[in-house]
Amino acid sequence: MIFKILLFDRYRDLAPQLVPLDYTSHPDVKLPYELIGSMPELKDNPFRQRIAEVFSEDGEGNMTLDDFLDMFSVLSEMAPRDLKAYYAFKIYDFNNDDFICKSDLEKTLNKLTRNELTEDEVRMVCEKVIDEADLDNDGRLSLEDFQHMIVRAPDFLR
Amino acid sequence: MTSYSNGAFFNPAYHDSETLEIDRSSSKTHHTNPYARGDGDRAVAHYSTGPTISDDVAGRVPWGGWQEESWRGMESIPMGLISTSPESPSWQHDVNHSTFQIPPGSQYDRSTSVRLPSAPSGNMTMRWRGMTMRRMSMFPNGNPTHIAFTEDAIRNEMENEEQNLVKELVALSTQDRIWAIRDLPMSVDEKKHIRSQVLAFKTSKQSRQFTCFADCSENVSLSFRRCGYNLRSARQTLELWQGIMKEIGGTFGTSVLSYFVFLKWLLMFNIFSFLVNFGFITIPLLVFDPSPNIPPNVSFRGLEILTGAGYFQYTIMYYGGYSNETLGGPVKYNMQLAYFFTIAIYMVLCGIALIFSMASSFKKNYVLADPSSNKAWQLLSSWDFSITNERAVRQRKNNLRVQLKESLSEKAQRRQLTLSEKLKHFGVYLGFWLLSTGLAVGCGASIYYLCQYEQQWATDAANWSLLQEAKTLLVPFVVSLMNLVVPLFYSLFNKFEHYSSQRRQIYALVVRNVLLKMSILAVLCYYWMNVVAKKFSCWESMVGQALYRLVIFDFLFLMLGSFFGEFLSNVIGTRLLPRLGVPEFDVARNVLELIYAQTLAWIGIYFSPLLPAIQIFKLFILFYIKKVSLMKNCQPPRRSGRAAQMQTIFIALLFFPYFVGSLSMVAYTAWRLTPSEQCGPFRGLNNTFSVVGVWIDDLGGIPGSQWVVWIYQNVIRSEIFYFLISLIIIAIIYIFWQVTQGRKQLIVLLRQQVVNEGNDKSFLLDKLQNLQKSQPDKKSKQKTQKKHTKRHLDEHSLGGQSNSNAMVQALLARQQLEEEEERRDTGGVPVPSDISTSSALIQAMLARQRAYDQDGDEHLSSASALSQAVQARQRAEGQERDEYYSTGFSENPINTSSAVAQAMQARQRAEEDGADDLPSSVSSVMMQVMQARQIAEEEDGPPWVPAPTQNPSPAGSSALIQAMLARQQAQNEYDDGY
Repeated sequence: MIFKILLFDRYRDLAPQLVPLDYTSHPDVKLPYELIGSMPELKDNPFRQRIAEVFSEDGEGNMTLDDFLDMFSVLSEMAPRDLKAYYAFKIYDFNNDDFICKSDLEKTLNKLTRNELTEDEVRMVCEKVIDEADLDNDGRLSLEDFQHMIVRAPDFLR
Repeated sequence: MTSYSNGAFFNPAYHDSETLEIDRSSSKTHHTNPYARGDGDRAVAHYSTGPTISDDVAGRVPWGGWQEESWRGMESIPMGLISTSPESPSWQHDVNHSTFQIPPGSQYDRSTSVRLPSAPSGNMTMRWRGMTMRRMSMFPNGNPTHIAFTEDAIRNEMENEEQNLVKELVALSTQDRIWAIRDLPMSVDEKKHIRSQVLAFKTSKQSRQFTCFADCSENVSLSFRRCGYNLRSARQTLELWQGIMKEIGGTFGTSVLSYFVFLKWLLMFNIFSFLVNFGFITIPLLVFDPSPNIPPNVSFRGLEILTGAGYFQYTIMYYGGYSNETLGGPVKYNMQLAYFFTIAIYMVLCGIALIFSMASSFKKNYVLADPSSNKAWQLLSSWDFSITNERAVRQRKNNLRVQLKESLSEKAQRRQLTLSEKLKHFGVYLGFWLLSTGLAVGCGASIYYLCQYEQQWATDAANWSLLQEAKTLLVPFVVSLMNLVVPLFYSLFNKFEHYSSQRRQIYALVVRNVLLKMSILAVLCYYWMNVVAKKFSCWESMVGQALYRLVIFDFLFLMLGSFFGEFLSNVIGTRLLPRLGVPEFDVARNVLELIYAQTLAWIGIYFSPLLPAIQIFKLFILFYIKKVSLMKNCQPPRRSGRAAQMQTIFIALLFFPYFVGSLSMVAYTAWRLTPSEQCGPFRGLNNTFSVVGVWIDDLGGIPGSQWVVWIYQNVIRSEIFYFLISLIIIAIIYIFWQVTQGRKQLIVLLRQQVVNEGNDKSFLLDKLQNLQKSQPDKKSKQKTQKKHTKRHLDEHSLGGQSNSNAMVQALLARQQLEEEEERRDTGGVPVPSDISTSSALIQAMLARQRAYDQDGDEHLSSASALSQAVQARQRAEGQERDEYYSTGFSENPINTSSAVAQAMQARQRAEEDGADDLPSSVSSVMMQVMQARQIAEEEDGPPWVPAPTQNPSPAGSSALIQAMLARQQAQNEYDDGY
């Protein structure tokens, strides 16, 4: 409860002129991605746009209050690990095809390393990743592959 | 049709189905067969599943058609089901469900009964997740013309799924349900919807049976739960150092944070032990005997804070300050017993807590962790989502890049390592290990001589002069200095050794540090037990003082350490030698320091029961010092080690050797050493443990407590009991160990199986994909006489017009055939590529299968045992298939395994078909059949002889394959003729 109220305040603080105080009539308010992405929690996260996209209903990062609550409930420490893994998978799955394929990995890598690896290196790393984590040899990582990997990497998202 | 099949290709459900379902029934045995023999065999293994499954089904399902169709049916399962009742959770693993006569409802029921016999929540989450994934996956690939249909099906399916979910949720208890709903990967709205449905379902079920009472209890439990949530969230906001922890985690990442988490954990530990000691030992004493009996000539001089001697000697700080009386009042309080049992139970509780946290952390972080998946880990799960600081993010990105580059170059380097280089590395390791072990031993020896020197002047005098008191500080000073300086040397050594992996480097560092600290502590303990215990009249207090001094000096040196270690190197790094850079926070070294401090507190718990208070104070201050030092002086770690694993290691280290060491030290003191005569609760006893004996003797007089005496006599004091107990424990350990071994093997097998199934799947998907690509715009025709084939993407073409698609398939078949033959070192003759085919996939497979049989026949003549075995298998498979065929053909059941016979049959068939007046398009097929037959006849006399040894010619085999293909084709044409 407390968190919900606190979060609502955070939400409203982003754009006091847009968000009404009274939510009883379920107003249709959406905050644009620019505002969401400028929050201190997300500001420096290389995946901020993806995070906003995954959690927003329209897939473009514009968030309703519910989306906002969803995002924070998953990002909170108390969220179950399976849930986090599920959403992390979606975050890494840039092209929304339900598999992390090579292009997704390349994007991830570029986001994480500021585009400073050569193409060859990127390719090698991506191949290695798929080689290591792809259990069923279909050349891409499914949610199950990903979860299996996460299980073995206990530091994940803590 | 294309849209469906697309959906199927990228349909993760299909994917899931093969990899995840454990309860797949029939095809299991074939799939476990490892594909050591390569590609060709794999295909055979695939196909061999076909007949067996179909055999299962045949009893129930009126197939009434060609067996090839049944094969196709098997392949088409994903597609077929998607189009009618797509994504029902049960279709994935059970071929039987391709009988669509079963109403959807019963199918669902079946699936739940299969899937959810017990503990459904986790399973459920997964399934729901899988479903949502599937649902999402349908749309992007959807072809607009089919969207309406798909949407409809999806909506249906979703509703069903939701109802299922609701049913499952209703069955759970309230608490479980809340958790299950929380775990669902859905938005708040959907969760609300599900919850309201569940509640509605529940009330509709219960309303008749329960009345006001149920409502009331529901309300009460609801308000309790709300209250609990609020309390929990309030507690979280009030938790100690929560904000600081967040800040540290945000700037420095999880690995540095783990140090602070550990510190906090230790602090809690000490608060607990302080409360226990204070509550059960000190408070009763203070209540009954508030004034410490301090000799009149002793006063507080200030130095005591450092030395712990003098004034403190007579307070309740040390063992000597406690009396051995039974404290009076309305309730008797036996001080001896209280002291003994408090310490004993505290130690046991500590041990249990440590074992549990160690075991759970091992299970979570270590056993499951797989060292091989390093790269994947680095890329996909090393990003610390808790980091919010811009500088830290930049740093992290840099580090990750450097790490990836390093590991790439490492891989390249490792191959070039020559023998001499290896020897050199080995020599370096050996040298440094010898050096560091020598250092540790040397430290221990010097401490020993220092102690002996101290012992020479130290007297049992009640009050020392100030100088004498100050002299006692020498030993703790030297010890702490060693603890500060020598690890720095170790870190220096580490720079010269080039360990291949960071993990090894850290382990080496940790092991050396542990060796050093253990040798110092061991020497000190030896000195206390053997020298101090014999020399001083109140020796426990002396040991307590020594420990107090060690704890205090350790604290001072920790502060100095963070000053010199971090502040100075920061100054040097930024001002003087920019090459060195800003220092990093060395988590391993700092944690080891904490562990050492905690060990001192544990050892001291017997000699100085209030030492935990000092420890609490120390840890509390240390937290802030370290935090400030970290924020001001350090940069985020360059390498992101696996923090969770390190934490496990640290807890394990804390338990062994540190906790076990201090426990055995305390136990030795209690069982073997004679307590001092003049002071302390145990004065006058032979050893501390005998207090229990005395108590039992007292109890013997009281009626009704005989059983306690009996237990003491027959259990506690009997060797046979301990002997039996240890035997049993060893047996249990052995059994568990065996079980673990078995599980390990099982894991390997299961993993292998996952890989195999993945291979199967990708193979089949490849086939389908090829097929699909080649049929981009073909009109499909629904076949009416067979239910399942109408959903097949691979439809029979009208009039058998030969098109490019069929060509592709034929080529594929030929390629495979060639591969097979090459692999078997026989020359392959290409099959003419102009075979027109409509059910190309099946044909391709068939051709390959045939080729296989053929090959097997060829190899019969060779003496190789291996090839015989191969052939035997082929034969078995062929037989199976042939039986199957015979039923389908409903004419002269040929029960021979010879492919030649099959070919003949095929030819006959083709001729028969050809005789019928089929549409003109068949004529081309006929031509081919004839051609094939001609080739077969020309090239191969022997095939007509049933003896398989007589047809070694590859050309003949290819001709036969052609014949088979032609037969197939003719059959299809024939079917289409209807």
